[in-house]
Formats: sequence, structure tokens, C-alpha cells
Amino acid sequence: MNKRQLSFVLLLTGLLILGLGFGIQSALAKRSETPIAAASPIHPTFALLDANGEQVLKSGKNISTMQTCGQCHDTAYIQQHAFHSDLGLSAYAPSDKTWDASNGIFGQWDPLTYRYLSEKGDQRLDLSTAEWLMVNANRVVGGGPADTSREGQALTSLKSDANNPEASILNAETGQPEAWDWSQSGTMEMNCFVCHLQDPNNDQRVKAIQAGDFGGANTATLVGTGIVTHTSKGYFWNDAAFDENGNLKDKYVLIQDPTNANCAACHGEVHPETQEPLVVSACDLNYPQTATTGQVIAAQKINASGMNLADKQTLNRSWDIHAERQLKCTDCHFALNNPAHALELQGNNPDHLVYDPRKLDIGEYIQRPDHNFARGQSAQFNIDPELKGTMRRCESCHDANKAHADWLPYVDKHMAAVACESCHISKMYAPAIQSYDWTVVTPSGQAASVCRGVEGDPNSINSLVTGFEPALLNRTNVDGKQLLAPYNLITTYFWVYDDPNGPRPVRLADLEAAYLENGVYAADVLSAFDADKSGALDASELKIDSQAKQDLIAGRLAALGLKNPRIEGQVQPYSINHGVARGDDAVNDCKSCHTNQQASRVSQPIELSAYAPNGVTPKFVGGTNVQASGEIVIHEDGSVYYQPKPANDKLYVFGSSRVNWIDWFGALAFFGSLLGVLGHGTLRYVNFMRRPKAQAETKAVYMYDSYRRFWHWLQTVVIVMLLFTGLIIHRPDIFGIFSFRGVVTIHNVLAAILVVNALLSVFYHLSTGRMQEYIPRPYGFFDDAIVQAKYYIGGIFKGEPHPFEKTPNSRMNPIQKFTYFGILMVLLPLQILTGALMWGVQRWPAIAGWFGGLPVLAPFHSLVAWLFAAFIVVHVYMTTTGATPLEAIRAMVTGWEEVEAHSHEEPSAS
Amino acid sequence: MKKRFPFWILGLVGILLIVLVPILYFMPRAAASSNDPWSKLPEHPVHVDHKDIVKGDFKTGQDVTRACLVCHKDAAEDLMMTTHWTWESKPFDVPWRDQPVTIGKINQINNFCIGTQGNENKCMSCHAGYGWEEGKKTEQANPENVDCLACHADTGLYGKGTYGNPADGVDLLAAAQSVRAPTRENCGKCHFDGGGGNGVKHGDLDESLYFPDENEDVHMGKLNFQCTDCHVTTNHQVLGRMIADNYTIDPKEQVSCEQCHVNQKHEDERINSHLTSVACQTCHIPALAVQDPTKVYWDWSQAGQEGREDDHFTYLKIKGEFVYDKNFAPTYLWFNGNNEYRYILGDKIGADGVTYINKPAGSIGDPTAKIFPFKLHIAKQPYDVVNQYLLQPITSGKDGFWTNFNWDQAFKLAAPITGLNYSGQYGFTTTYMYWPTTHMVQPATQALQCDACHGENGRMDWKALGYPGDPIEWGARATPK
Repeated sequence: MNKRQLSFVLLLTGLLILGLGFGIQSALAKRSETPIAAASPIHPTFALLDANGEQVLKSGKNISTMQTCGQCHDTAYIQQHAFHSDLGLSAYAPSDKTWDASNGIFGQWDPLTYRYLSEKGDQRLDLSTAEWLMVNANRVVGGGPADTSREGQALTSLKSDANNPEASILNAETGQPEAWDWSQSGTMEMNCFVCHLQDPNNDQRVKAIQAGDFGGANTATLVGTGIVTHTSKGYFWNDAAFDENGNLKDKYVLIQDPTNANCAACHGEVHPETQEPLVVSACDLNYPQTATTGQVIAAQKINASGMNLADKQTLNRSWDIHAERQLKCTDCHFALNNPAHALELQGNNPDHLVYDPRKLDIGEYIQRPDHNFARGQSAQFNIDPELKGTMRRCESCHDANKAHADWLPYVDKHMAAVACESCHISKMYAPAIQSYDWTVVTPSGQAASVCRGVEGDPNSINSLVTGFEPALLNRTNVDGKQLLAPYNLITTYFWVYDDPNGPRPVRLADLEAAYLENGVYAADVLSAFDADKSGALDASELKIDSQAKQDLIAGRLAALGLKNPRIEGQVQPYSINHGVARGDDAVNDCKSCHTNQQASRVSQPIELSAYAPNGVTPKFVGGTNVQASGEIVIHEDGSVYYQPKPANDKLYVFGSSRVNWIDWFGALAFFGSLLGVLGHGTLRYVNFMRRPKAQAETKAVYMYDSYRRFWHWLQTVVIVMLLFTGLIIHRPDIFGIFSFRGVVTIHNVLAAILVVNALLSVFYHLSTGRMQEYIPRPYGFFDDAIVQAKYYIGGIFKGEPHPFEKTPNSRMNPIQKFTYFGILMVLLPLQILTGALMWGVQRWPAIAGWFGGLPVLAPFHSLVAWLFAAFIVVHVYMTTTGATPLEAIRAMVTGWEEVEAHSHEEPSAS
Repeated sequence: MKKRFPFWILGLVGILLIVLVPILYFMPRAAASSNDPWSKLPEHPVHVDHKDIVKGDFKTGQDVTRACLVCHKDAAEDLMMTTHWTWESKPFDVPWRDQPVTIGKINQINNFCIGTQGNENKCMSCHAGYGWEEGKKTEQANPENVDCLACHADTGLYGKGTYGNPADGVDLLAAAQSVRAPTRENCGKCHFDGGGGNGVKHGDLDESLYFPDENEDVHMGKLNFQCTDCHVTTNHQVLGRMIADNYTIDPKEQVSCEQCHVNQKHEDERINSHLTSVACQTCHIPALAVQDPTKVYWDWSQAGQEGREDDHFTYLKIKGEFVYDKNFAPTYLWFNGNNEYRYILGDKIGADGVTYINKPAGSIGDPTAKIFPFKLHIAKQPYDVVNQYLLQPITSGKDGFWTNFNWDQAFKLAAPITGLNYSGQYGFTTTYMYWPTTHMVQPATQALQCDACHGENGRMDWKALGYPGDPIEWGARATPK
């Protein structure tokens, strides 16, 4: 070791010891708060350019992302292929049918954020393009409507014009539109940094946008990185961050693939920290996904979070299993041409082809990465509908058959009816918005809103978060499959008026003008709403619950010049796809769905709002992929509920669905028979007691050979058990102690035994020729039947002998023959057939489908079951009409029966 | 008619069989586990109450032992063969020494109270014997010096004082009559309070385990295990070896989870795939010192300051400065059950500023090694500046450091006892000591989940462990098939 090395080692050792001495204590006392940003390992350095392509260091101007990133990447391509940038601009097309001019937030009215992007020609300006950008600052990444007009010109080319919603802004003070000068404010290019920087300064960016400094917004994103500083005089580029060529120095190149935190900045609550307890800001639209659905993406266990959750201790699972398993947002929502994520095969291919190696080269991809990202089938976001379902879904990675093989019967049937999310996102543990009532307004310009899943003030730490179970609605996937999937339903009420361009939601400014004067409620509003005369309106008073109140506000709106002001309500389903639980924590109890209608997950009602303003029933929004086939009902207390009707979606859920008339009819048949035989029996008994006791002459006959007895009793046991297990499956809520799944298995096994027994019996009867016993002889059948019927309603009470003798070869009277023929030749085969088809829905759904599927087969099966039950009652009673009441039963046990001795000849029994 | 056998009963039985057998065959059922860990636990025979057996007038501890030995003839001889008595391992050949070495409290040092030699009056309060004074080693061979009461008496009735003798005022008869199989209290007296106080040393053993919560330790808390349920003891030979007091350990002499959890697999195959590289403890002991804090840093160089206020958790004049930590993540290393290195008295200190008192053996290339949790205890302790080895001071006693606060004198006094020359110049150097974490197993529901180790906020330093990156993305280590 030479001297230099030695001194280096000594220095290092000294530093280490020093470091340990100083460091250990602090290191052990607390963990480092923020990870030190490491420079990008692969992204080369580059110069920052302004819009003219000059280095910002020289020009001092704002950065142009299109120019800067465009040095290597095809930024024009990227912006053209980015719905995050477009936001509905390219689909913008006003019509007089609807106030929505596009399918994105630029043009589609969102009653939660409420402000309306005014169309050209609207009489009253609400949001101009400039103010739309300010209001949506946190959700706009630039490009699209931030630098391009609705007609496709550069915004900077528009002439300032107070009458053009694209070149004006509403002055909040005067309530009048004013001209907006784009050349002064600048426009906002698509901001690459907000998603590709480790720690973008979104706060500064939002502040710049809200201040109308659109041109500086992208520069603002870099404040705090050391590249640029912001003072009251503007932005100043830091020389020290650049090398002699004007390129960024290595350590300032913090470009990376988007992380979950990048996505979370705009979309909702994502919590990558494992140590710091998660706290959710309830129903806060700054976290739109979480506010509207309660979805939280975090690896942390729910009971390790900082939420005041009901039964928190038991919630020993992560908020989202995929987050726990280290999946990133971009793993599913990948760039569509990313070769690493390319879908196996797209479009039409020969059957034999399973893999297509022709993919983009990684270099080509990096130059032109498609910024349209793979997406699912959500109901609330309709932008770029052609991209729906481009994402890998649950079943692309998970094999439901294998995953559920060890416990779930009828896997395919379940998967054909229920989306994975319905069971695996069974409950939301963060509050979500339930309703926004914009028919009223608070002094601070807010709607009267209600959060679901929390008791009390949603933003108080003392409030108990109960979470909520999503509503299950029938969703039509892009492939045409219909599945029940979970949704949060958000109900909004608002005023609408008629503009010459068509109906419009009342502007917030007008709503405030109708309710408020100088920031407090106007005197006549207060006197109408202030029920307790306290001089202030609390949450229970601030609602329109009478015609008088509605008239008052409508009048005040009309006085502002609004035509035909009226209240409308709408229900928007919000898809729930994140916050997935693994099997152990998913719905895995059959009775969660297979139970009575009010408790079943598929049909339980969900509250829409605590009241409907003056009884206005809200309507589901149209144009989604969701069929809300249920009913919206207003309860007596005024609360509004959505009552799902699975039957309307052609769903039959055992134990939950039932056809009422069949149960009524069946019960009537069963209890009617019971009542009939009881009456008949009582009459017989009374008459028997009155009659002189004369011992009728009887003789022993070997009536039933052993096989007959065997198949009869086997069938008896099986049918009784089938009826009982069938009843449990039909009404599991009444028979709570039985395992639904176990009972279904028993029912199926019994059915198999029944079929085998029936077939063997048919074989026996055919091969021995005894089948003819069951076949009513046409000749004289009715005469004989009438004789027998007369006996049952007359002679039997008088102790008369049976009109037809019972012999081993002719054991049945005509009525019996007819009945058994019906039971064994008609009802039993029908029951076996419908039962087999129901059992077969798993493997041969199409065959069941020919007969109308479960909604037809199942009620029919129930009906026949009721008839069987009624038959058994009568059948058992009839056995008591032999020589003595128990004689026939004894005969079926031993084979020997004492029968009335009729006078004529007969073969003697051996 | 002659009474015939009712053949219909056969028919009935047949029918019931035909119905029931298929139902039972097809009924869904959970697979029964054949690996019941309970079956592996030792049985606890009811202990004979010694209240009426033990009589006599006991003046000294030796009197009690003599009484015990009347019936338990081999007990003392058996115990004297164990490390609870010898405080010394068998001889090991180590690559950095020519002669075989033994390791134990008797001759080596740690980075807590440093060493026992010459400090017997204090240290021997945890020795399972009586009257061990410096220079009286031969006397120790006497079986009557075995302390039966330390492990078998009710800890509320017995305690140890100087040189391992019974503490003053102990009612020896009452203590002797209370004997029984050792409980957590008996073991805990020394093993929970090692290093000079509750929870100082181990991090996974402290007084909270006298009455543990089930969430702290599922075995001792929920199931009320005694130490000897896992540390199975035969003829006073306790199963389980302390890595710090050994160089290598025969797996047969070590306690393991698999002792009871034989072939128990996790439901999720992805978890099972960890088992070749991750020890059970790593996931099932998510945190150290769950209830009571443990010492993680000890700076002897600050000891002896005049006028500085004493505080149990930060500073004591006799011991120096400390850092305690509580409910924190362990340090993770590859570990095959052995030491790669154990500091032997006289070894040179580390050239890079850190001396390892022990260094667990194992690396990513060692197929027998698994990632294992450790408590790392860092200390600054004295060394001889000229001779470049660690020094063991005399701390207790008349002229010890704790009396005079004179390091120089403490080292001079120790030199003839340890046999290690003292040059007269001392300094303080950083030492690392690793303590394997294997107690405080939390319930399965509390075990670590994926994100605890994998992903941006994971607790593993993959690069330090030898991986190219997070194995969830870069793949597991290649192990020989």
C-alpha cells in the first residue's frame, strides 16, 4: 500500500468512525424522512429549450416541453396519442340534444365539480376555456385544450373577445365576461415532467395555472429541483445546474418512468409508504378516484392505517393486494405500444398462431411511445371509448377455474354472471361521495353533500368510518359479455334552465345570486328555509323539501333572467376496480348472495340520497356500459334508494330469486292437500267410531316383492331428502344452520341416486312386463275411475269394501294408475330434466339456454317440487285406506299384506 | 306364523348406505393437516410437590444442594457438563489462530459489559453455581457448588448475590421447598436481563415475556409456552446454542422452528418459494423489542463524566452513553447458523475502524444460508492503542472502574488476570455484535407481507445481500438443484 492509498484508507476510516459516532444516534433515533433523489441511471443529459428552440439559459424564457423533449422523442406523436392531454377536445361537438359537447372533462359536464364549460353562443358565460383550465388545474397536464382551440387552431391565434368563450373569462366581481389575451397568458404544452419527474412540483404548477400563468406552468413544475427558482419577478434558470454546453448536469436529470405517486398526484389516494399510517381525506375531490369510489391503492394493511375504521383490528389485509404485491399503475395501464407489455395477439389471426414476435423495437418505442394507455371498462370515463378493454383484466393473469377449484362450485356459471371485482372488492374502507345537492348552495359556494361510509362529519378524525358495500350493476363489456360489477352510485340534484342553445345547468354564479346577498342568505330565502328560526341554516334545513321553497328559488332564478328553471337529478355509477382483496378476504360465503333478496349482495338496496329535492326522482345517466335495471324508490321518510332487480338482467340467484306466484301456488297445493286429507281422515275416523266394529274378512297376500320394496323406499328417502334440501336451497335465509354449499352438493348427489334408481326401476318394470300395471287401460277407465272416486267420497266412510281388489298383479285402482302415471311418467322426468339442465349450466350453459336458462328452469323446478310434496301428503294418507290404517305401509316393508277377501277366484299367494 | 328375522331391516340399512355413502364421499371438506405441531411438544408431567419432602436446616446454598443430591444423584454431575456451568464452549479450530480456542463468558468478551474475568463478584450472579471467586477455580469442581435453586426455585423466593451465592436474607428452606420444573421466570432472570438490565442484550428476550401479549409472542403469549418446550432438556443438557459463544454449531444442538413445524407449507406457493432463501424468523418476527426497548448502541468512552445526570436509557456514569430502540426492524444478513468470525481475546482490531465481536457466516452463494434477522449492537469499547487489541477492564470491585472511574487502573488490574499485556495507552473503537432474532414470533396474521421487503420502500438492502436488485423483478438467487 503506497502512501497515498494509506492516507486515503486512514481518512476513510476516520470518516467512518466520525460518521458512526455522529450518525448512529440520529440514524437509529429516526429513519430518514425522504429518500435522496438519485439521478436517472439511463436518461442522457439534455438542454432545456424554449418555444423557439433556444436554450432557456440564454433566452431566460419558459421551458417548452415539446421542444426540449422533442430533441429526441417525437413529441408531436406523443401529444396526438395521449388522452391525458386531449381530455375530449378532439371529440368536441356541441349539439342541441345535450349540454355535453364531448366525452371528456373538456366538454362533458361533471355535476360534482359543477362548473359548466360554456359553448359558443351560450347567453350566460360560465367557464371559458381559460377559467376551465384554472378550475381543473390539478387535472390538466397541458396540450389539447390548453393550447388548441375547439376548431383546432392555436389558442394564441385567437383574438381577445369577451363574447367568445374561448377568448374571455367571467369576472367574478361584475358577473360579466371579459376578454382574455392568450398571447399574454401563454398556453400550456403537454407537461412531460408532471409524470416523468421523480418529484414534480405540482403545487407550484397548479398555483401558476390558477393564476392564469399558463405559459409558466411547465416551468413551475421544475421549481425546487434546483434547475429553476421562482420569485415575484418570474422564473430564473440556475446556471449551476447546467454544464458548459448548456446541457443539464447529470445529477439534475431526474427523468424516470411514471411511478404510482405520479399517477396519484391527479387520480386519487395512493400510499406507497409502509411505515407512515395512511389517512384519507374523505370525499375530497382533489383525490377524485378516492372521493368518488373510496378506492385506495396502498400496500399497507388496513388496520395499520390511521383511519378510524369500524372493526379495524380485524381488517388484517392490505388496502390493495396488487399494491402489496408490488404492481405499479403502469403494469396494467401501460403504453399501448410498449413492447414489454404488448398483448400476445391482437385482431384476427389463424387459430394455430399463439405468439407474434413482431413488436416494436425498444428504440422505436422510446422515440414514439404511445401515450394512450391501456384501460378497463369504466362507466364514468368515456373518453376514447375505442380503447376500452385494452387493458389486461383479472382473467388475463388469473385463472379463475384453478383459483376457485378447491371451493367454489359452478365456477364458470359464477364467472359468466359476476365480475371478479364483485367478490374481490366486496367492501370499500374509505368514504365516498353519496350525493351532491346543487339545488341549494352554502355561503361558501358549495353543494349540500353527503358522504357514504362514514358516521358524522366526514373530515373529523372522531367520525367512525364504516365503509360501504358497492352496488352491483350489470355491465356490458366491450366483448359483449354482461357481468355484475361493483359501483358507487353518486346522485346529484341541480337546477336546469333553458338557454337558446338548449338546456343548461344553472351557473354557480346565478345559484349564488339566487340564494345569497353579500355572502349571506337573502332575507326571504332565510325566512323560508330557517325552520328553527335560529337565523342560520344548518344541514337539515338547507334543502328544498316543499313546493313553496322550490317556487321561491325558481322565482329568484327566473328574476335573474333564467328561463324555466327546474330541478333535475341524476345518478352516475362510478366503477370500482381497485382495492382488490385476495381470496381469503373476498366474499367467499355462499350466503352473501344466496340469501333473501334484501340481504343478498346482488339485490340489496343502496341509498342514493337522504332526500329528493321536492320529490324529484333522479335518473341514471345514459350512454354508459351499465344497465341499471333496478328501480329507484323513494321511501316514506323521503330517502331515495336504488333497488336492484337481478331478474331484469335475466339472472336467477338460488336462494335469492324466486317467482312469488309459484311459491304461493305450490304452498296452496301442499297445504290444501294436507287440509284435505286431514278432513277426509277426520270424517273417516268419526264414521269408523260410529260404525259397529265388524272385522272385515282379510287374507294375507304377498303383495310386493323385495326389489319393489327396495326401490320404493330408496326413492322415498331420496325424494324426501331432495325436497328438504331443495327447500333449503330455495330459502337459505330460513335454514341458516345449513351450509349452502354442502346442501347443494347433497342435493346433486341425491339427484344422481334418484336417477339411477329410477332407471333401474324402469328396466325392472319393462323387463318384467309390470309396466302395464301403471298404464291405465283406456277401456272403461272413466267408469272405473268414477266408481273409485265415489268410493273415496262415500263408501269409504261407511266401511264399504274397496271397489277394486288389490292383488299382486293388479295393485292399483284406476285413480292410482292415473296418478302414478302422471307422477312417474310426467312429473318425475320433468323434474329430472330441469334439474339436470340446472346442474349442467356449468358445463353446457347453451343447452340450459335453449330452455330459457335458470330464470325459467329454476322456478319450474320449484313448481314441480311443490307438486311432489303435495303428492306425498296424499300418497301417505292413501296408504291408510287399506284393511287397517297401517296395513299398506307394513306391506311395503314386509311384502305381505292383509287385504280384504273378495269372493271371486284369484291365484293364491305363495 | 313363526317369527321371522325382519329382513326389511337389511333393506333399510342398504338404502341408507346407498344414500349416505355417496353424500359423504362428495361432501366438500377441508384437507386435514397431518403435520400437527402440537404432537411434537414435550409433555409436562405433574411435578411432585417438594414442600413435604425437603426438610432440614439450610445455612448455605451448598446445604441445599447436598439435600437435592440425596435423591437426584447425577443431577450435579450432569449440570457440570453443560455450558450453564462451564461458561465455555468446546475447543474450535479457527483459521486465524494456530491453537484451538474455546469461547464463553469465562474467557472471551462481548460489547456490553465486556468481560467477566476479574469481575466475578457481579457476573457470577448469573452462573448456575455458588462461590466462584477469582483464583478458586479448582474449588468449583465440587458438585455441591451447583446452584439448583437458580433454575428450580420460585423466583419470588430466591435470588442470587455476589459470586453466585444466595442473596442476603433468602429463606433457603422456603426456596428449596418451592422447587419445580424451570419456568420462564427462572430462565428470564438471567436471559431477559443479560447485559445489565431488562432487554439490554437480545432484543427478542425481555421481561415483557413473563406475561406476554399474544401479539408480541404467539408461543409464549397465546399458547403459554415455557422455554423448555422448545429448548428441550435432557439430563440438564438444554437444547439450543448461543451463536456468540460458539464458532460453529451442530444443527442437532440448535433449536429450530422445524422441530415442531414439520413440513408445514404455506397456502400460497409464492411464499413457499421463499423458504430456500428466507428463514422463518425473517417474516414471522417483523420487529424487535416489541414492548420493552433494547440497547442498540453503547459508548463506553463517555463513561465516568463528573456531574452528568444519570438516566437509565441514555447515560450512566459507570457505563457511558446508550441508545435504546423499541419495536424496530431487525438487520438482515445471510446466515447458515455459524459464525464466520468470533473475536478471540488478543485478536487485532479491525483495520477499517470496525471490529466484529462476531460475524454471522453465510452469503448469497452459500446454499445452506438463509436471510436471517439480527439485532446489531454497536459499541465503542476500549482497546490497546499500541497492541491493537480490545481490552477488558476490571469494572466491579474495590479498585474497579465503577468505583474509581479510572480506566488506566482498570486495565492494569485486568492484565494479570486476562493474561493480556496492557501497554498503558488505550483508546475506544467501534465494535459490532450480531444477535440472532428468534423469539417474539408474532401471530401469522402479523407476518411480513410482500411490500415489507419488496418494492421501493422495502426493508431489505438487496445490493448489500448480493442481489443485482429486488428479486421480485430480478429473480431469486440460483441455488443448486
